[in-house]
Amino acid sequence: MLSHLIDIENWREIGATLSRNKTRTFLTAFGIFWGTAMLAMLMGGASGLRGMLMRNFDGFATNMGGCFANRTTKAYHGFNKGMQWRLDDRDVDFTRRACPVLDLSTKMTFEMGTIKYGTKSTARQVLGVEGDYFKVQLPVIDAGRVINASDDAQIKKVAVIGRNVAAELFGQEEAVGQYIAVNGVYFKVVGVVGQTSEASIGGKMDDSVILPSTTLRRAYNKGIEIDGFIYTAKPGHTPKEIEPIIRKAATTNHPLDPDDTNAIAFMDISENFKMVENLFTGISLLAFFVGIGTLLAGIIGIGNIMWIIVKERTQEIGIRRAIGAKPRNIIAQILSESMTLTAIAGLAGISFAVLVLTVAEKLTYDPALGSAHFQLSFAKAVWIMAVFLILGTAAGIIPAIKAMRIKPIEALNDK
Amino acid sequence: MNTSHWEMIIRLTDINKTYPGAVPLHVLKGINLEIEKGEFVSIMGASGSGKSTLLNIIGILDNYDTGEYILDGTLIKNLSENRAAELRNRMIGFVFQSFNLINYKNAVENVALPLYYQGVPRRRRNIMAMEQLERMGLSDRAHHLPSEMSGGQKQRVAIARALITNPSIILADEPTGALDSQTSKEVMNVFRSLNEQGMTIVLVTHDPGVGAQTNRIIRISDGNIVTPTPIIPNTAINV
Repeated sequence: MLSHLIDIENWREIGATLSRNKTRTFLTAFGIFWGTAMLAMLMGGASGLRGMLMRNFDGFATNMGGCFANRTTKAYHGFNKGMQWRLDDRDVDFTRRACPVLDLSTKMTFEMGTIKYGTKSTARQVLGVEGDYFKVQLPVIDAGRVINASDDAQIKKVAVIGRNVAAELFGQEEAVGQYIAVNGVYFKVVGVVGQTSEASIGGKMDDSVILPSTTLRRAYNKGIEIDGFIYTAKPGHTPKEIEPIIRKAATTNHPLDPDDTNAIAFMDISENFKMVENLFTGISLLAFFVGIGTLLAGIIGIGNIMWIIVKERTQEIGIRRAIGAKPRNIIAQILSESMTLTAIAGLAGISFAVLVLTVAEKLTYDPALGSAHFQLSFAKAVWIMAVFLILGTAAGIIPAIKAMRIKPIEALNDK
Repeated sequence: MNTSHWEMIIRLTDINKTYPGAVPLHVLKGINLEIEKGEFVSIMGASGSGKSTLLNIIGILDNYDTGEYILDGTLIKNLSENRAAELRNRMIGFVFQSFNLINYKNAVENVALPLYYQGVPRRRRNIMAMEQLERMGLSDRAHHLPSEMSGGQKQRVAIARALITNPSIILADEPTGALDSQTSKEVMNVFRSLNEQGMTIVLVTHDPGVGAQTNRIIRISDGNIVTPTPIIPNTAINV
């Protein structure tokens, strides 16, 4: 078999047979070409569509949930309905202790602030967060660092500012290490950050000033109260599983009717993502089935042309058998022809698909959001090629067996 | 090898062959035939007489039901497809009426093909093929396709292909059937000179003129050999 592969005469022969019926070879090759190209384009296209949507959520934890306090809708324990209440440290501490599926979590406090540096001043949103905030929503760090657990524990007067804030207050100047006044209280700037993608929670990071949660609350007389609690569930769990524990904490710590489901507002980002995921799983499946269909049509085409080739070459195969070709020589010959046809047309198809995907990639490229990944991974391309080669060769097997069974006398009498 | 038959290159003993079917056809009815090394023999008979079947059996292209066939000391019976292909390749050189060259291969490639199935490297088999073509006086046609050659040239390419494995016998099935009389004469001269060089040749024909140019005519009729004509010297032929 090895000598068969390296003997140039085999390749010449394959070339000669395939080029003798140019139209038919071309049409069959086109079938395979189109099959591989369609499969590859559909796979790459599905990945690109998904990328185009998903890049809006880059750096955004997808299994995230959050909760906020609402006015009560039921009277309870002598309190009227419509009471304003607030989440606080006790609720968070309880949840963190009692909830095994809680992964990352951060308290959220919102404040409007006037930010001053030297003579410049700007009004911005001020966020009070814990270190996990920057893990739930990955920032692009332009300079310095982000707020960590130690800042929060030690009530450090440090601030991370958005890149737009930095640009407005500092211009070309180095911001990290300078002091800014936030509503009259001075904070040391330790970092400048930007947002990774479009999606955000609690206002765009680029336009915010972010302080440690404890420091913000101490500086602006908020006590133990917070405005919201953001969390992610551990892998394999959903944020939904965390909600009953928070509800339990809130009804224990606050005069809330346990049946007052509207008193706490929960959001669950993971459900939205799941819908998007399902949509794209559907698109991928569709792409896969359409691709497989075209692929099968191409494969049947190869089987068909090999069958006709064998029929046409009955006499030639008879001559070869008469002068000493063994059955396996004939099988090897027919199979290598179908393999060659598949390999060349398949490679051409994948190359064409990659070309089309490259154009799509160029057209959808966004400098801020990056690539949408209209791409076919090398592994997938190799996979498509392998499937085609195996099936293409398999399609040659029936004609090859037919060729092998040709008896030299029958072929030679066929004058 | 049985030493008492060492010079018998073909030895057929009581060969029977029946084609099965609704009406079974008993085509060979106990053929006994011996052909010596270096003989030039023709098998003649009407169509349907069984001569083609006999040729196919001698050429290991077909098998027989009962009897015994010994070719150059090897018993040819119940062979596997692979073994039969190997023996055809090494022991028999075929020449056909319709030349049976492969039409997309040039003369050298056609002649070299049997060596390809012996695993001879390409360079060596092309050199050997050129030698055979030179022997046939066709070195100037070496790179022509069959479609670019005359009938006589094609048949000489086919003879070169038959000779390249240095076979025990040459089997020719109506080798002049598709040729005009002038070219037939040329091809017969080629066979004659090969025979003079010691090659055993068995030729099937229904042309008495061609048969007369061989040393012995075996007539076959209705599945039996009718007149085992005695060996006559070459010189006695006067056509």
